Amino acid sequence: MSDSPRIFADFVEGRITEAQCRQLLGADAEWLARVDTCLRLQRVAKAPNYDMVPYVDTQSMFRAQFGQRPARQSDFWPKLAVACSVFAMVLSISPLKLHIRDGSIAVHWNQQDPQAAEQQVTTMLANYRIEQQEYLQKQLQLTQQQQASQLILLKDYLTETEQKNRRSDMIELVEYLNSQRQADWQYWQDHAQPSQARLDYSTAYPSKRSQ
Amino acid sequence: MHDLDQSTFATSNRVDDRNVFKRSDESLIRKAVQGDEQAWQQLVGRYQAALYYYGVRLLGDAEDARDLLQDVLMVVCRNLAEFRGDSSFKTWLFGIANYRAIDLLRKRRPHDDVDDLHEQLADEAACVSQQYSGLQEQLLVQKLLLTLPVEQRMVLELKFYQQFTFDEIATQLAISSNTVKSRFYSALDKMKVQLEAHDVGQSTYFC
Repeated sequence: MSDSPRIFADFVEGRITEAQCRQLLGADAEWLARVDTCLRLQRVAKAPNYDMVPYVDTQSMFRAQFGQRPARQSDFWPKLAVACSVFAMVLSISPLKLHIRDGSIAVHWNQQDPQAAEQQVTTMLANYRIEQQEYLQKQLQLTQQQQASQLILLKDYLTETEQKNRRSDMIELVEYLNSQRQADWQYWQDHAQPSQARLDYSTAYPSKRSQ
Repeated sequence: MHDLDQSTFATSNRVDDRNVFKRSDESLIRKAVQGDEQAWQQLVGRYQAALYYYGVRLLGDAEDARDLLQDVLMVVCRNLAEFRGDSSFKTWLFGIANYRAIDLLRKRRPHDDVDDLHEQLADEAACVSQQYSGLQEQLLVQKLLLTLPVEQRMVLELKFYQQFTFDEIATQLAISSNTVKSRFYSALDKMKVQLEAHDVGQSTYFC
């Protein structure tokens, strides 16, 4: 006997998936067609229904059957929970203080003394002033440090620039001297050297000159 | 997709995480029997819509569905103290609904015969192009369901729309599980034939 009805029933009851069902059914066309129809109907059944549900007087039905009885007292714990929440809220936003000391709990209204409050304000203002002074002092030191470092940088820059200028002046001087020497040498070659040669010649051959 | 299909078939026995903080039907029944009207209203609210749509699909008429809803709720209210919890409340409720629906179908007016339904179906198929296809298919399936014998229609309704298991359906209808399956398969085959015939008709209509 074929296993298809059992496999299909397992699928319809949600014990196996569609893929498993198709795999197990193999080529059994009749049962595969039933799977398809099943899926189609299932898709339609899942679609929401928007028709309005008519009103039925269930209240009268119930009262006719069970009579109108007073509503039972609801449980105490929701009320207790709300009360605890309210108490906690009041405790947190008011000067009400809850103290646990030496194994005993004490609740008291912690109203502040005006003199103590003034004292507190004075102390806070003094602290604020000290903090501000410290801050200004720190800022001044910082500015001085910055200025000093900037001056050092400027001095370095100027020194370097001065050195560069001196070096270039020296180079110019050397170049000038070189050019002077060159000019002197040229002059000597052009004028002094021929004169010397003539002078040497006349010294070597005086007779020829006298003749 | 598979998981989605699977979940639809398997929801009747599954514990939904979202329902962890919901009062169980049994707890509501206990309170209602003690005279807690709010519990009764809550219980009714859970199943009222499902019952009404069940009636609309099974009987094919909104008026009859309303009568069925009222009738079933009345019976449930009267017999609430008799509920022993042998099966789930939903199974018990739909057991009553099935019984009352069959009664109503026996007494129904003669104009609701199958021919009339076929005519209605043809009329609605004619304006298919103007309607949203999903809604059209929903309407078509509902109409085709009405052409099935009531025993088969009921099985499809309880399986697909109410998501009962075969055993639960068998309990409700007081028949064997094999008979339920046999009716289910026959109904599926008939629906397949009718849906295919309709699909072919639609394609020629558009051609």
